[in-house]
Amino acid sequence: MRRGTVALAAALLLYPWLVSGTGSSAFLQDMGANVLLAALGAAAWNIVGGYAGQISVGHAMFFGAGAYLPLLFFHHWQLPPILGVPAGIAVSLVIAVLIGFPTLRLLGHYFSMATIAVAELLRIIVSNWDLAGAAIGVQGPAISRGWWDLIFRSAVPYYYIFLAVLALLLFVTWQMQRSRIGYYLRSIRSGERAARSLGVPVRRYKLYALMLSATFTSLAGSLYALKTGFIDPESGLGILVSVQLVITAALGGAGTLFGPLLGAVILVPLQTATNTWFGGGGTGLTYIIYGGIIVLIARFEPGGLLELWHRHISSRFNKRAEARDAA
Amino acid sequence: MLLSAENVSKSFGSFKAVAGADLQVAQGEIVGLIGPNGAGKSTFFNCIAGDFAPSGGRISFDGHDVTDAPAEAHARLGIGRTFQIPATFEDMTILENVMVGAFLRHARRGEARDRALEVIEMTGLKELAGQPARNLGTPGRKRLEIARVLATNPRLLLLDEALAGLTPTEVQRAIELVRSIHQSGVTIVIVEHIMEVILNLAQRVIVFNQGRIIAQGKPQDVVNEEAVIEAYLGRGHGRKAAH
Repeated sequence: MRRGTVALAAALLLYPWLVSGTGSSAFLQDMGANVLLAALGAAAWNIVGGYAGQISVGHAMFFGAGAYLPLLFFHHWQLPPILGVPAGIAVSLVIAVLIGFPTLRLLGHYFSMATIAVAELLRIIVSNWDLAGAAIGVQGPAISRGWWDLIFRSAVPYYYIFLAVLALLLFVTWQMQRSRIGYYLRSIRSGERAARSLGVPVRRYKLYALMLSATFTSLAGSLYALKTGFIDPESGLGILVSVQLVITAALGGAGTLFGPLLGAVILVPLQTATNTWFGGGGTGLTYIIYGGIIVLIARFEPGGLLELWHRHISSRFNKRAEARDAA
Repeated sequence: MLLSAENVSKSFGSFKAVAGADLQVAQGEIVGLIGPNGAGKSTFFNCIAGDFAPSGGRISFDGHDVTDAPAEAHARLGIGRTFQIPATFEDMTILENVMVGAFLRHARRGEARDRALEVIEMTGLKELAGQPARNLGTPGRKRLEIARVLATNPRLLLLDEALAGLTPTEVQRAIELVRSIHQSGVTIVIVEHIMEVILNLAQRVIVFNQGRIIAQGKPQDVVNEEAVIEAYLGRGHGRKAAH
């Protein structure tokens, strides 16, 4: 496992260089950055949706807050967008606490529905709010005024910024997984009543998970806005944003450390491919693919691909062990 | 008194599941709670464990008023419970299940793990420690529930039919386990259908019927009482059985 992690880290670090020799290096580097960004968002969702088992389908509200604030800082005061990143996190935390208190009492589907409702509400408000760009959206700086604007021609600097933040998030998740909060969150997912009977303050821990998740989802939104330089209600707060976070994590393996990354490695190239093949008409197709993936995961492998992989590996190991015992 | 419940009642709509029940449990006792199905013993039990807030009355534990306290506060004060239908954490291993309990008193992972391993050894689950809980059968699950709650260092242990569904051999093993837990200084309240268990373990028995306590005393005396036999077998049987 440890050797696997090192190999993965090396592959991720070298990827932009490895593809630089190919004919479409810029395209592949850009896709690499998009994979990491999708992995970052999904890994952030994974803390509350995977580990704690609270399926939020409204994480676009945090992603949107993170995406809007930096561009609004530029739009209104010509400040470097990066200064808006902490503001995005602060707004996300406020939203997390405000919606967390009432909605985290809800169980299962009711929590999911409440999160959808709040995110949609936010999207509609922003769509009609002139100060936030209304339905047209907000633009970042068109040309770089200095390095602090974080505007790069190549996708490679973004790739490494995203990789650094993803590494930080995975490290935080790994630490969480092996400390009390990780055990408590998994017990909450398995059975709230039993967790409570063992002294787990269920609502408090769910709120911690939501706040940590909101922080990193907001960061993912900010990084998306910094790279794209433009945000509108659909791309920042649309339900497709929330759904994509869920699908990416669930496909790879919700509640596992590397599941979200695996999901992103599969989904992003798939999306890029459908967009190239079908042009603008590809958006509808994305919905169809998402729907198909939801059905397949729910029906055949609720644990995600990583679970499938582990089962395969462990059964092989067992066979090997049996063979050794027999010999 | 370690646990004192006074005039506790619990209604669901117009249905009074528990109507004015009293229970005093002293440190070091094993008290059995029996009664026919639907007598209200499980509801009363859940009021003591903090799963239901009583509609009336007062419950105190070791001098603390816990009447309206949430379940997690009960656990923190030292009231542990098992569930009638085992509620083990299915995706987690047996060790991880027990560690969730151990984390209540040990914030560090290493210490929680040590405490969990200790309890796992004591409850005879050692060989299975690395297995996911979903691989266990009913006896294993019941044992795991006991291990998990023991890891929280309870002073009062509430066992809700912890021995139901076990084979006679398993029941014997479970009785031994409960006895050794009691000997380690834990006070026990046990809800049970199996008379053999109650007669074997309890020093004192409380009999519930239709939301009220109809009898209490030493197990042998109580099971011969007319009101108790009538509650279990119906009116008319009491006198016949006594003859």
